[in-house]
Amino acid sequence: MNDFMNFVILGLTRGSMYALIALGYTLVYGVLQLINFAHSEVFMSGAFGSYLVIQSVVTDGSSPPWFAVVGIIVLGLGSGAITGAAVAWSLERVAYRPLRRRGAPKLAFLISAIGASFFLSQLAGKLFNRLNNNSFPTYFNLNKHVIDIGGVTVSLVQLIIIVSALLMMLFLDLLVSKTKLGRSIRGVAEDAPTAALMGIDIDKTISRTFVIGGALGGAAGFLFGTAFFFSNTMGFIPSVKAFAAAVLGGIGNIRGAMLGGLLLGMIEAIVPTFPWYKPGFIGTAWTDVVAFVVLVLVLIVRPSGILGERLGRAA
Amino acid sequence: MRNSGLFNDHVKRLLGCLAGGVVLALMVGNQEGVQRDFGYAFRAAIFSPRLVVFLGFGLALFVAITYWSRISPYFVRPGARPLAAGAAAVVASYGLLHWTDSNQVTGGKLGALSSAVSGTDGISSFTRTFFGSVVPGTPWLLLVVVVALGVVSLVLRLPVLAWLAAGLGLLVGVWGYIAQSAVSDYLKTADHSTGAQVAILGYAAIASGCFVIARSQTDQADTVGFIERVFGWRPGFPLAVLGTAVGLVALLTATWFSPADRNPHLSGMTNLFSGEGLSAISSAYLSWLVWVIFVVALALAFAATYLSRQAFSWASIVIGLGAVVLTLTTMHEFSSIGGKSGFDGANGPWQNIGAGPWMLCGAFTMFAGAGWIALRQGRRVDPAAPTVVAKAGSNLNQVLIIVVLAGALFYPPTATQFWQTVIVAEIGIYVLLAIGLNVVVGWAGLLDLGFIAFYAIGSYTTAYLTGTLPIKPPDWLHLTPLAAIPFAIVICLLAGLALGAPTLRLRGDYLAIVTLGFGEIIRIVAVNADKVTNGPKGAFGIPQPVIHLGPIHIQWGQSALQFWYLLLVLIGVTVLLFNRLEHSRLGRAWAAIREDEVAAQATGINTTRVKLLAFAIGASTSGVAGVFFASQIGYINPDNFLLNNSILVVAYVVFGGMGSLPGAIAGAATLTWLPEFLKDQVPAEDRQMWIGAVILLMMIFRPAGLIPAKRRAAELSGFDGVKSAETVAVPAGEGM
Repeated sequence: MNDFMNFVILGLTRGSMYALIALGYTLVYGVLQLINFAHSEVFMSGAFGSYLVIQSVVTDGSSPPWFAVVGIIVLGLGSGAITGAAVAWSLERVAYRPLRRRGAPKLAFLISAIGASFFLSQLAGKLFNRLNNNSFPTYFNLNKHVIDIGGVTVSLVQLIIIVSALLMMLFLDLLVSKTKLGRSIRGVAEDAPTAALMGIDIDKTISRTFVIGGALGGAAGFLFGTAFFFSNTMGFIPSVKAFAAAVLGGIGNIRGAMLGGLLLGMIEAIVPTFPWYKPGFIGTAWTDVVAFVVLVLVLIVRPSGILGERLGRAA
Repeated sequence: MRNSGLFNDHVKRLLGCLAGGVVLALMVGNQEGVQRDFGYAFRAAIFSPRLVVFLGFGLALFVAITYWSRISPYFVRPGARPLAAGAAAVVASYGLLHWTDSNQVTGGKLGALSSAVSGTDGISSFTRTFFGSVVPGTPWLLLVVVVALGVVSLVLRLPVLAWLAAGLGLLVGVWGYIAQSAVSDYLKTADHSTGAQVAILGYAAIASGCFVIARSQTDQADTVGFIERVFGWRPGFPLAVLGTAVGLVALLTATWFSPADRNPHLSGMTNLFSGEGLSAISSAYLSWLVWVIFVVALALAFAATYLSRQAFSWASIVIGLGAVVLTLTTMHEFSSIGGKSGFDGANGPWQNIGAGPWMLCGAFTMFAGAGWIALRQGRRVDPAAPTVVAKAGSNLNQVLIIVVLAGALFYPPTATQFWQTVIVAEIGIYVLLAIGLNVVVGWAGLLDLGFIAFYAIGSYTTAYLTGTLPIKPPDWLHLTPLAAIPFAIVICLLAGLALGAPTLRLRGDYLAIVTLGFGEIIRIVAVNADKVTNGPKGAFGIPQPVIHLGPIHIQWGQSALQFWYLLLVLIGVTVLLFNRLEHSRLGRAWAAIREDEVAAQATGINTTRVKLLAFAIGASTSGVAGVFFASQIGYINPDNFLLNNSILVVAYVVFGGMGSLPGAIAGAATLTWLPEFLKDQVPAEDRQMWIGAVILLMMIFRPAGLIPAKRRAAELSGFDGVKSAETVAVPAGEGM
């Protein structure tokens, strides 16, 4: 049971990162009905951007007081978010807006995003490095157990990830449901031409939607980099998972993305706790298979995801 | 308010262009990031004088966009576009292409060759002057002079100057060509470089542009009308002209044998092989018969196209194809003799042959093709039938088909070993995959991101049936790779059905993620099911294809070239079948569900069945590619079947033009050729970045792809003109 709970917590950690990335997919899908394939590089750039800031304020192996650690983490989240937002904004400007103006077919957007994704990830590789073991400076004990209830442990970094992800999701939910910007996003998602008639600037709204999604993705990049390593190709796998998570919850649906992300993280994490689990048969190697099989099964029962589809309706 | 808005637009555009310049500065160059210092490459790229150059590019772009309305009237004048295209071709040839393959010249590009040649004494001063022994940078200087003359004559409408530019352009092109051949003779290497050829073609384009400038004073070029007139005048005539040009080059200047060592042209062949036991017909061929045949074939092709008589057309086809066969037998004979005497380490037939005879084969194919086109068009003479325009279009297509066919048949033997391998293992296989995926994505409109899985299934099926997996087939099922093709097709069909049946209720993006998942599942199973697939190590020792059919025994495996012809047959059969499919009942049903599934259902199309068929047919093509891949490369492992490859195949299809068969082929060929081409231009690690940039730019400026499908093109430009920006802001409900 303890094992199981530990795996659940692992799943929550992983899932909240998936959820943050998935939100980027789902927001863009909501307003454009397009998969933003280059979102993986927004995530990646968040890690690099926040690293550049963090390593200039803190040295490796130092142990600042707790409030400074909190400050640094907030700084990291903020810089990651800003980098991610900037990259997402330019992405919309370069890879999406010209195609929208031409009324290009949907797949052309997909391919331009794939081209942008190759480009950004390799440009980051050229600019920084192509190794896959870059890590943030250590300025606090990542693996310190902050909660330990009868063998169920939560490490510090897990807590940081879960708490900050939940805070950001709460913030986003409020933003979308309560503010004017959120209303215009929902309006564009529901029916763009009508929204335009109501005086909403579609271009601006789409641009801002990219910025919001990019900020969340960039912050997720910082969290991922803090917990693991970061590299110019780090975006690919988590983003494929996050995309799956967004679809699982119902793409275009914000709460769906959150739910899907957490759920997918959990599914992946608890695979090794299955009673029939034997190392070597259903090993961690099979995690992805289980995750995708669950996805397919869910989609067969509910063809538009668990919570259904549209941004406008659900949020 | 309006004024400041305009000003804002300009500032924004300027900032955008300058930012583009900075990004370009980051992209170009050898600087590489290091882990110790994340800012290293950035500083190397930005804090150096060269940034000024890139900012200058940005500024130039800004000026060009801002003043485009002033420039564009000149650009649409007659002759401007050939001039620009020719100049671009020459610049590419000077800057990017190889001018020699000799390893004495590092890199083999014009710059390196120039500096090597200008200091060498054994080369004539005529040649050395071209490469800049008198004035450094002569080739570039000449180009600038010619283009400047052309531009001035275009802007000021000075026919005299245009004539001058045209003549000078031709002279420079020929000079460069002769100079390069002289150098290549001097260096005594097998020369496959394309620089001089592209340069002379570029100069020819410049000259023709200047010719048009000199002759025409209208304001608006009529390129489309010009093409229509040329190709609509006498069906197949341009092909006969092209064949003549290629044939003359083959007969007069191309190397026929032993390109590294003796370099004889056709005229030297008789001498080289006298007394070597060449059969009577072959020696006759080499000394005089080839000329007779060439002249006869040429005359027949022109007669057939000019007079549109069926008899001439048939004669042209028969003579053309017969000449190809005769040329091939002669090549076989003299190369066997060369192999026996061991010229240049050759040890059998078909080795050491120069480009000449292959080009001649191409020329004869074109003559036969000209006859074929004349025959087809001749039959269609019907006063009420299609307009000249439609005929011209289909003529152009037929000419292109023949040229591509001749190129596919006879170009690869003249390429280097390296390019032969690339043509087979990269270009050919991905072309086949793209043709298959085009059915699913382009025609049926189902986004499949796991297409490589079927390729994997085909490969693993081959490995199983040839007994190279840990799990062995029963004895009666132990097959050679070619015999595995039907099994692979069936298994991929079944896999396509198995994937399709539960998931086809899903709409576009849901289907995308499910297929992606399917692709990953197949790969992970291949990695993890050690006892079945041999895990990450994969299968090795997969035998090469063999054919033992009565008296025919063919064993593949000595060279990439053999595989190329096998692949060409597979691609050809697939293209023929799919070409019929596109306009069949099924093809039209696919178009219908792609555009509007509900409406298609309402008209009585069984959408599930039709979609399943798309999946299954696409998958089976991929299975064939898998069989070929496994038996060509001989070993497979799960790393050959990554998700990235699936995504790339989708990119090939869309890049080429969704739903268009020639587009899919062109897209796959271009994007698989590009990384190999870029090897010479940029650091190896940067290639993917440049490819990403190319894909991005292509989608921005030509979202319909290289060769758009006709239906798609109509959709894009709209039947009712361009819509306003507001309504196209969100592409609503478009068929995927």
